[in-house]
Amino acid sequence: MIFREVEDPDLIAKARRGDVEAYNLLVSRWEKRVYNYLLRLVSNREDAMDVSQEVFLKAYQSLPKLDDPARFSGWLFRIAHNEAFSMLRRKRPETELAGEPRPADLNPRLLPMELSLAVETALGRLNPDQREAVLLKVYQGFKFEEMAEILDCPVSTVKSRLYTALDLLKATLAPMQKTALRGES
Amino acid sequence: MSCSVFDSKPESRPDWKAYVLCELGQDAHRQAEAHLAACSICHEEVATLRLTLDTLSTLREEEMSRRIAFVSDKVFEPRWWQRGFNKTLFSPTFAAGVLVAIAILIHGSMQTGRTSQAQVDAAVTKAVSQVETRHMQEIQAMYEHLEVRDKQVANMYLSNAALIR
Repeated sequence: MIFREVEDPDLIAKARRGDVEAYNLLVSRWEKRVYNYLLRLVSNREDAMDVSQEVFLKAYQSLPKLDDPARFSGWLFRIAHNEAFSMLRRKRPETELAGEPRPADLNPRLLPMELSLAVETALGRLNPDQREAVLLKVYQGFKFEEMAEILDCPVSTVKSRLYTALDLLKATLAPMQKTALRGES
Repeated sequence: MSCSVFDSKPESRPDWKAYVLCELGQDAHRQAEAHLAACSICHEEVATLRLTLDTLSTLREEEMSRRIAFVSDKVFEPRWWQRGFNKTLFSPTFAAGVLVAIAILIHGSMQTGRTSQAQVDAAVTKAVSQVETRHMQEIQAMYEHLEVRDKQVANMYLSNAALIR
């Protein structure tokens, strides 16, 4: 017998008919990715958790409005993007007092290697738009067109943000990595 | 060493970032690869970009502290018959109805066989006569009240007429 994993569009169709279990399965497939994306955006675990919950609640409520179930991931990340920036706007005074996002807030025990810490620091130095472009492309694997839909901006803007971010990251990380590689050899 | 593409037309420089991010079309990708094979400068540029992406990929995903739980787990939801049972048994109206029904049944079972037809007839006759007597008393009281009021009205007319005169 051949087992086929249930595809997201099938689960979406079931969830639209009120099948809570199908939606739970959909959530379990996407929650970690959404949470990590939000975590890098808001730099705080509790906030990332709260926003993740909000994102999936909004997604459930808006599921009937999703035109093309095949584009669920982009649609979900669009909601996540909106929720994250809405939360950041609400917390702006606090954020301004705290200064720029601090990668050191993230649990260092989970990222023991120097390189991982360096990546966190380098990402933290990018502006929020650049950082989000890197998160969507490098960590979530979205295409430029999908990113443009998620961020609601032209592809040229997406590329500009991402390329600038890559130049900055390259200047910081590549020499470090090269040194590490030389040390290994 | 120099790259002819870089040196001659900077604007026609291959989009190496799109190349390493797999965003180039098939033709552009093939051209870029052909150029890379012959140009050490561009090769170095691409190697540095790939190294940067590799470094970025060392950042590990974090586990979530708890599951998203805004919808209840189906496992803990009662089945359809349990929902129906709970809904009917624990509703106040249903419980009150059940109590009344039980009381009627108990009362009925206690009375059955102890009362004869004659006792029932006597009880009915007694109840009817009581009601008739009460009605007669009420009608009598109403008449008396009306008589008193008629007299009062008549007196009022008489006194008014005397004043007018």
